[in-house]
Amino acid sequence: MPTSAPGDIVAAVLHAAAADSATALLVVELPGAGPPSVRWSNTGATELLGLAGSDLQGEPLHEYLTAPEGEPLDAIFRRERPTTTVLTLRTAVGESLACRVRSTPAPGGRLWALRVDPAQSELELALRASADAHEQRFKVLAERSPVPTLMSEQGMRLGHVNDALCALLGVTADKLIGTGWMGHVHHEDLDLVADTVVAVLDGEERELRARFLDSRREVRHTDMRFTPLRTPGVGEGFVATLEDITERRAFEEQLNHQATHDSLTGLPRRSRLWEHVTAAMATPEAGLACMFLDLDNFKVVNDSLGHTAGDALLVEIARRLTGAVRPGDLVARFGGDEFVVACATSSLDGALEVADRILRVLAEPVVLNGVEIRPRGSIGVVLRGPDHHCADDLIRDCDIAMYQAKSRGKGRIMVLDESARSAAHDTLTLVADLRQAIEERQITLHYQPIVEYDGHRPRLVSAEALARWQHPRRGSVPADTFVRLAEEHGLVRELGELVLETACRALTAWRVQLGSLAPARVNVNLSALQMSDNLLVQTVQRTVRRCGLRPEQLCVEITESALMKDPGTASTILRQLREHGVQVAIDDFGTGYSSLAYLRRLPVSYLKVDRSFVAELEDGHTAVAQAVISLAHNLGIGVVAEGVESWAQQAMLAGMGCVVMQGFAISPPLPEPEFVAWCRTAFPAARQEQP
Amino acid sequence: MTAVGLDVDAVLDGLDQLSAQRPVAAQVVATSNNDSAGAADLAAILGADMALAARVMKLANSAYFGLSGRVTSLQLAVTVVGFNTVRSVATVALAGIDDAQHLPDDFWTTSVHLAAAAGALGPRFQVTTADALSLGLLAQLGAALLHQADPDGYADLLGSTGLGLERFRAEVDRYGICSPRLTAEALEQWHFPAGMVDALHAVQSGADGALLRTAYEMTARLLHPRHRTMALDRVSDGRMTEAQAPARLMAIRSDVLQLQAALGL
Repeated sequence: MPTSAPGDIVAAVLHAAAADSATALLVVELPGAGPPSVRWSNTGATELLGLAGSDLQGEPLHEYLTAPEGEPLDAIFRRERPTTTVLTLRTAVGESLACRVRSTPAPGGRLWALRVDPAQSELELALRASADAHEQRFKVLAERSPVPTLMSEQGMRLGHVNDALCALLGVTADKLIGTGWMGHVHHEDLDLVADTVVAVLDGEERELRARFLDSRREVRHTDMRFTPLRTPGVGEGFVATLEDITERRAFEEQLNHQATHDSLTGLPRRSRLWEHVTAAMATPEAGLACMFLDLDNFKVVNDSLGHTAGDALLVEIARRLTGAVRPGDLVARFGGDEFVVACATSSLDGALEVADRILRVLAEPVVLNGVEIRPRGSIGVVLRGPDHHCADDLIRDCDIAMYQAKSRGKGRIMVLDESARSAAHDTLTLVADLRQAIEERQITLHYQPIVEYDGHRPRLVSAEALARWQHPRRGSVPADTFVRLAEEHGLVRELGELVLETACRALTAWRVQLGSLAPARVNVNLSALQMSDNLLVQTVQRTVRRCGLRPEQLCVEITESALMKDPGTASTILRQLREHGVQVAIDDFGTGYSSLAYLRRLPVSYLKVDRSFVAELEDGHTAVAQAVISLAHNLGIGVVAEGVESWAQQAMLAGMGCVVMQGFAISPPLPEPEFVAWCRTAFPAARQEQP
Repeated sequence: MTAVGLDVDAVLDGLDQLSAQRPVAAQVVATSNNDSAGAADLAAILGADMALAARVMKLANSAYFGLSGRVTSLQLAVTVVGFNTVRSVATVALAGIDDAQHLPDDFWTTSVHLAAAAGALGPRFQVTTADALSLGLLAQLGAALLHQADPDGYADLLGSTGLGLERFRAEVDRYGICSPRLTAEALEQWHFPAGMVDALHAVQSGADGALLRTAYEMTARLLHPRHRTMALDRVSDGRMTEAQAPARLMAIRSDVLQLQAALGL
């Protein structure tokens, strides 16, 4: 305790205080009457005042220190407590200086020690100047920054905004400071912004997209980035920057619109349809009907009036459809001349009413290139049911219904019936299985011998490869069924290549296993669709070469009807195959309508007499078979009879000059191992040659 | 007006005794004056005084801070309103003027106007909104103390003088000290930041007092239609012009409504 300190310590403290030039100290006495007067001063005080210590002694304090408004100095002299007051100090040269005066009462109640600090010491001034410079730099940076910036000190209340933000919103800073800026946040985004601020005040950095309204109440889209800001002794606020993305967003929306909308009609494309239906189906109880519209005979318009007219028709149809549906319904262009309408209704009658209206507006006349036409369409309607789990299900079903409408005579509305859906579903499943069967090479071949009875010894001239599919659950699927499915669903090339490859490899193997007992050729059937495949010739050539066969060891069979679907292309392909050396046979000859003149020009190696003509031989109907055989002879090409089931038929055909035949009378189609066994043991030639 | 000896020490001693009755408020004031304290520290202390905590929560969720209904934790509430505001609310409790029966007429109306005015004008004077708001809210503490020491005399003084410099001079004449400086004495005793004490000391003249002087002038214009206006550029030391006054007055009026509801005063 100072009061009990030994005298030498008191002297040491007094000496230090007296000599201290950095701290100005005065001891002031407050007499019973009269103003406070100076009793003692240290070096610091005399230097500050510019006076000698002796000049100060006994002087009234108010000569050197005054309160700002001239009020008495009594308030600084408290007997119970120290006080700190800002007073004005007047120096010997008349200079006024603001000082912080700390007045500490001494025991006894008569004296007070005053510590006088210039309100801002040199260090304080230097620090303040440095801080001011920093703040000024930051202020200039923030205010001149082209990035709109706002700064909060308390909650959502802004203390500062910069010029760029004012420019963005078209208002002065006064209107934004405090909570004024909140009036410019789009009301739908205000909650999000406030929630974000709460998180930011809790210390997180956040980004969000928010809309602002400028002074013209136009929407500005912005990306906002928030950073928490801690001010010691004050608390937390935030700094947020805004990036105006209005133009970028408009551009993105335009791109998105282009990506999701058809450029010709302006209607949403499939992807948008899927999104719409998926969103509608997200609510379990939401009613939804889909209708699939396909224009009837649109190809005729395109072919006869040109594609420009066709496009104009599509645009007009799109306009009519859009006008015929109800608000909230979606019209999408599905592709080509197909449109899908999604209606928000759980009533079939409501959906049919829309469909009916569509057909009516569709049928109004439209003039294209001076020609008046009345467009018609077929509509398939389906109401969302418990079996529809996704957009695919619903749109697939209205597609099926549309096909039903087409198949029952165009220009009508069909509501999906259960049997059609189940049949369509069955087909889709079977197609998927077929695709898998092809990939896994589960399609196998049976071989039916083709034998020539000329002279003493029958000769095995070829084996016709016939595709077989043993379905793991359904059992054997008829070839005409799965070939048709392959043709309808784009699998025909894969299936054709599989059959060709398998047959050629089999012949190669037989030549090794059977030697001279092996057939000279293998016959492979081609589908009508393969006849328009420009790669077919290359595929055949490559396969034959890869299997080590000579081209003439392969004979391709094409039905007469398939040949006539696109005679020009078929003719070209067959000619290329023939030039390469591959044999060509026309299957089921006599059942189509091929022109005989045309036939003459075709590079054909064989005609195959259809089994129906062979079957009627024993009933005495020999004329057609005879005609076909004669035709072949006359054109100088070979002839083969199919479906020979008896020795009598065999004898009659031989009598007509057809000595090459195939059929159950000789052998049914056999799996590969049985066919090999048949060649070895059952074929008459083999029996004759082998002991 | 007759001079009346005011024993400032006795008045401040009276405040010390009141502080002892509100220990949590005293601790909040002490903690919020400490730069190293965080919102969590302050919230932890505040939680011990339900009435204080509720007042801060209510304030944080008021329209004034723009986060109505979103502030669910006391810590976040402290963050939102700022340390200074928490300290001011605690000081009001500490000084016993939050539920005092004997306050000068329109005491809280004037205080809330001063708070809103100082808060709105703060940034223009390089003072943060939070600091300015606290300064305005507490400036009248001295007036409450003068009223408690001399109820009739102070009521007469209020009735015969206009808010602002005219009244400060009358207070000095009668009590030897004006009410904001008496506030400064009290806040200094509670170790409030020097900047705030200086601003109160300099309310009659000096650059540090410009914000508070201007806030008094704006409050007087809003509350007393017959107030003899003083030139704004003079009271504000050139920081504000008359041309800027109408917009500021409108903003302050709107903030007053929000603050009044928020503070429940």
